[in-house]
Amino acid sequence: MSFYKKRAFRPRTGFFKFTCCTGCGFELAYFQKSLEETLRSFDFTFFRLASSAGSPEGPFDLALVEGAVTEPFQIIELKKIREKSKVLYAVGSCAIVGGIPAIKALSPEIEIERAAYKERFFGLSSTRPNVIDDYVKVDGHIRGCPPGERDLEEALASVLLGKKPEFIEYSVCMECKRGGNACVLVEEGLPCMGPVTNAGCGALCPAHHRACYSCFGLMGQANVPALKGKFRKLGFSEEDIERFFTLFGALEPSSTLI
Amino acid sequence: MTGASASQKDYKTVIPGDVFALWVDRLGEQYTLTGPVGGGVTARFEDISRFAQMDLDYQSTMLPPGKRYLFEPAEEILSYDISGESNIPGNNRETGGKQQKISVNLPGLPAGRRALIGVHPCDVNAILYLDKVFLRGPYIDPFYTARRENTFIIALNCKSVTDLCFCHLLGAGPYLKARAGYDMLLTDMGRGKGFLVELVSEKARELFDIFSSGRPPEEKDLSAMREAEASLLKGFKKNLDMAGLQNALLSRPDHHALTETSDSRCLSCSNCVMVCPTCFCHNVREETGLSLSRGGKSRIKKIRRWDACQDISFAKVHGGNFRAKRHARLRQFVFHKLDYEGQLGTKGTVGCGRCIRWCPTGIDLTEIAMAMMK
Ligand code: SF4
Ligand code: SF4
Ligand code: SF4
Ligand code: SF4
Repeated sequence: MSFYKKRAFRPRTGFFKFTCCTGCGFELAYFQKSLEETLRSFDFTFFRLASSAGSPEGPFDLALVEGAVTEPFQIIELKKIREKSKVLYAVGSCAIVGGIPAIKALSPEIEIERAAYKERFFGLSSTRPNVIDDYVKVDGHIRGCPPGERDLEEALASVLLGKKPEFIEYSVCMECKRGGNACVLVEEGLPCMGPVTNAGCGALCPAHHRACYSCFGLMGQANVPALKGKFRKLGFSEEDIERFFTLFGALEPSSTLI
Repeated sequence: MTGASASQKDYKTVIPGDVFALWVDRLGEQYTLTGPVGGGVTARFEDISRFAQMDLDYQSTMLPPGKRYLFEPAEEILSYDISGESNIPGNNRETGGKQQKISVNLPGLPAGRRALIGVHPCDVNAILYLDKVFLRGPYIDPFYTARRENTFIIALNCKSVTDLCFCHLLGAGPYLKARAGYDMLLTDMGRGKGFLVELVSEKARELFDIFSSGRPPEEKDLSAMREAEASLLKGFKKNLDMAGLQNALLSRPDHHALTETSDSRCLSCSNCVMVCPTCFCHNVREETGLSLSRGGKSRIKKIRRWDACQDISFAKVHGGNFRAKRHARLRQFVFHKLDYEGQLGTKGTVGCGRCIRWCPTGIDLTEIAMAMMK
């Protein structure tokens, strides 16, 4: 609907950041190939990385949110963002599956605080990490670390067209095979996480002869125990296997069966 | 089948290897040459410039040559541009009565000519299977048709079998029995003895201008071939009563061999389907790039990609997913390969063993079927 009036319709867009490296913001504002079109089609009324002007007050046609939730004030902010936005997309692995900041979920918070802040951790309100779906309704997940361009474009174009985005929901292996890459898991016994990882990157790592480390997060119905079994057979230690599965998936249920 | 006249009629000739190689190199002037590079079970079909780059002793490839080159992993099948105005009645409400124009662009059909060299019998049979889907199905696929017509297929009888091969159970190999649907058939007669070349198609008889520089096969050549085939047949490790499977698997849809294998080992990764030479499933998605903001003109592309019944979104339709359970998806693969003969009049497997080899957890459809039939 909106597309046909697009000359007038530049969605008012806010880009919000919680706990993360800001890589998704950089991708959107600097690195992606449709940068010019993005800036032309969307009215970024709040995007700290692109401009220090602008206000987070909204209202927004589109809110893009990166980062995991690790502090109480973020929960309140997130809820406010949701209230004043028509469409809200989670952007990147931190917001969607926890990503790198969620690694701290593996240790008691007190140990994390001590390690990071030595004796100066009084007054911190850092909590165990959570994904933004835990707190608000999310209209779509633009997966990746940083996002894959296909899903990013699909999400943005869908807002302009007023349609429901269709995100990729299958394994990295499918993209890997379509690309004709040698399989580093079967041929070489590298600990490739591709079979349980959501596609969208175009099988970037296997295409460069590396094992996928699951930076896009687990796909739906990922059979974690089955892949762990395979890694055990290949001779990886329990500690290593645990690390493979928690690098980006510390918040994922440890057994996503059936 | 001896004597020059008989072999002339059968279009069989024995050609020294180096002479044949020179002919292939010359064929490269008219065709893109594509053949197996790198040996063993991990060879791959690649575009080459000379015969010598190929390893015709290869055993298998990850991607099957037919599916890879005739049914591309991803291709644009249509695109359309939307500019400000349209005459489609339903759209006028949204445009406030303004007219929009939608123009449809059909991409040109693939035109390049390719010679696929050294295609094993299982893979030739797989091409014949894909033909039933794309050339003779209810819908004739113009892209596949164009590539099929432009592809010259030089088959090669196998010289070794692997532990995972079971083409012998389907009559698909190790020596090719089909007598049409491809262009030439090679049999390597062994060290220094050259190739026995059979010209199967009209096209081959036209292109193979060195036919008469070979010698007609003698009885000893043909008996050597029979012996080689017989000794290959002894090398197969897998056995299964293929004929007995039809409709038999289907009557045991929730057999524990299936559910237990799928729960404990199936990753739903779809590697099995991707490497399967007969898996023809694909999806067509509209890709709406951001370029739609350009000058009021939007280009929307329809891209067709290989799809797989193992992925969770495959059977998602309005209102639900009719294969939401993992074992229902694995069942679809196993049954489509080993049962469901009614669909295309033949089994969906050609016995190449790729799905077993490239499954990260080694799931073996023949083992599942065997356990189910017990
Ligand atoms: S290399 Fe990894 S992603 Fe690619 S097919 Fe193998 S397991 Fe899957
Ligand atoms: S292959 Fe895996 S680790 Fe590499 S970019 Fe893709 S999802 Fe991330
Ligand atoms: S390749 Fe193996 S693990 Fe992957 S979907 Fe197929 S049977 Fe399952
Ligand atoms: S096994 Fe699955 S992917 Fe292959 S042809 Fe059958 S339904 Fe399609």
